[in-house]
Amino acid sequence: MSEVEKVVSSIEKKYINELLKDGKRLDGRGPWEYRPISIEAGLIPKAEGSCDVRLGKSRVIAGVKYDVGSPFGDTPDEGVCTLMAEFVPMASPLFESGPPDESAIELARVVDRGIRHGDCINYEKLCIKQGKSVYILFDDLYIIDYTGNLIDCASIAALVALINTKLPGAQWNDEKGDAEWNGEYWVAPIEELPLTNTFVKIGDTICVDPSLEEELIADCRLSVCTNSAGLVCSMQKGGSGLFSLDEVYMCMNKAIEIGNELREQLNLWQYRKEI
Amino acid sequence: MGLLIPEKKIEQLIDENGIRTDGRKVDEIRNFKCAVGVLENAEGSAYVEHGGNKIYAAVYGPREVHPRHMARSDRGILKIYYRMSTFSVFERKSPAPNRREQEISMVLRTALEPMLFLEIYPNSAIEVFVEVVAADGGTRCASATAVALALADAGIPMRDLVTGVAVGLCNEQICLDLNDFEDKAGDADIPCGWVVQQKKIALLQFDGKMTPDQIMQAFEYSLKGATEIYAAQQVALREKYEAIRDIVNPPGSVQRDDDEDEGGDQPYSQQPRDEQRTPAPEGQEGGQPEDQPGEPDGSQPDDQGGDLE
Repeated sequence: MSEVEKVVSSIEKKYINELLKDGKRLDGRGPWEYRPISIEAGLIPKAEGSCDVRLGKSRVIAGVKYDVGSPFGDTPDEGVCTLMAEFVPMASPLFESGPPDESAIELARVVDRGIRHGDCINYEKLCIKQGKSVYILFDDLYIIDYTGNLIDCASIAALVALINTKLPGAQWNDEKGDAEWNGEYWVAPIEELPLTNTFVKIGDTICVDPSLEEELIADCRLSVCTNSAGLVCSMQKGGSGLFSLDEVYMCMNKAIEIGNELREQLNLWQYRKEI
Repeated sequence: MGLLIPEKKIEQLIDENGIRTDGRKVDEIRNFKCAVGVLENAEGSAYVEHGGNKIYAAVYGPREVHPRHMARSDRGILKIYYRMSTFSVFERKSPAPNRREQEISMVLRTALEPMLFLEIYPNSAIEVFVEVVAADGGTRCASATAVALALADAGIPMRDLVTGVAVGLCNEQICLDLNDFEDKAGDADIPCGWVVQQKKIALLQFDGKMTPDQIMQAFEYSLKGATEIYAAQQVALREKYEAIRDIVNPPGSVQRDDDEDEGGDQPYSQQPRDEQRTPAPEGQEGGQPEDQPGEPDGSQPDDQGGDLE
């Protein structure tokens, strides 16, 4: 029989708390250590870009599709990239079927903001004809297994799917007044690698990449997106607890440090498709 | 709005040598791969790769029914949610569920329901979630295959598996297991879900124009294909438990040898019938539950002692 709701017992909660005070965690990790990350890219033939990312046993499948359409009025020379996240009910007994709920929308928006403000995509290169025609990229995330810290797993998946994206080239045809294929392909204009690191505060201690149990007992959560230039690009605080300014400062600096480590370790450019 | 390159269409689906667009003969199935227990949280799960289709199925339950009024006091209900990812098809699918997905969910449910003993789960729901992450024609058939595997993996008692494979008419010829091009450009399409051992049909739809005799011939092709896939389903289910056996009972141990004598690596269906289910003598059936509680108490301490030494 499945558990309808996941409950962490107070004994387990106390145990996790006491371990953390000594800088230890239930699964043997240190406080600033990630679970193993594995990435498979290009697995979906009909997607322009795709990947299957596992962070520990959390798992996100992401795919990019494109369309050609009109730009937004206030950015006539920029393409568009939209992010959608779906918590597939197969991922956890905690998820229900139906339209995306607030946590799915929060997830998509947090990842989206990281990508938007991390100078990840060169939106101008996605413009075909100013004011008339631009590429619209849909980066869709499907959460198919949930064991904590979906934000970081989804942020890697969204980024790798974009890196893996190969688009048909376009040229503007004045006579037809429409964009057409120029007979070539190109890789999506990805220029930066913004990564999000999520920290949770449990009692007075903070650790990165929370497991499901840690996430459930955490007082609050802080997701910090950083880029390789050492800048903070977006943040999101979640959970009904409080952070002190010192804690936020420490999380930002840790995120820059861990983000750089991850960028080096994962070598994400390798997932670019050959043209 | 529009795509720069239109979807590829093929007019000639079979060449003069009887070879199809992907190099197959008319009576061949596509590459098939499957595995069970692929997801962490689900109580049963399966992954099926059938040609270019990549499908996950996950089972939760038996569990409480939501909304409550759907519960039946005399039996459990089976709910199947078939969904396609936005990027699984050539032109991005809208993320909202559409009519096609709802219909296929229902068709899958009616195909799998007769395999279950729903009367033993009153007031409960068994929920199956199907996610097609890559589509290449025949997703409902491959989904039926995946759902059957996931239900079996969840340990839900079943009469048999369901095995899906489509058959259709391309350039006037009957072709087994249509791929995406054949599905779209072909003249007829018959998705079939088989209960292979009984040679009975659990899922059946048809679109196109064919004579009844042609359709009966198409069923023959389909059953042949389903038999191959059924064997692969059985292997996938066995593999999971063989892996567990190898941990619990490492190769070379006494009990393992006994296992091999009994079952061997033969598919279940090929074992002699009488060995498969030896009916318990009438008198014992009533007595067994009384005997069993005593048995573990008596035998376990010995076993444990042996292990410790």
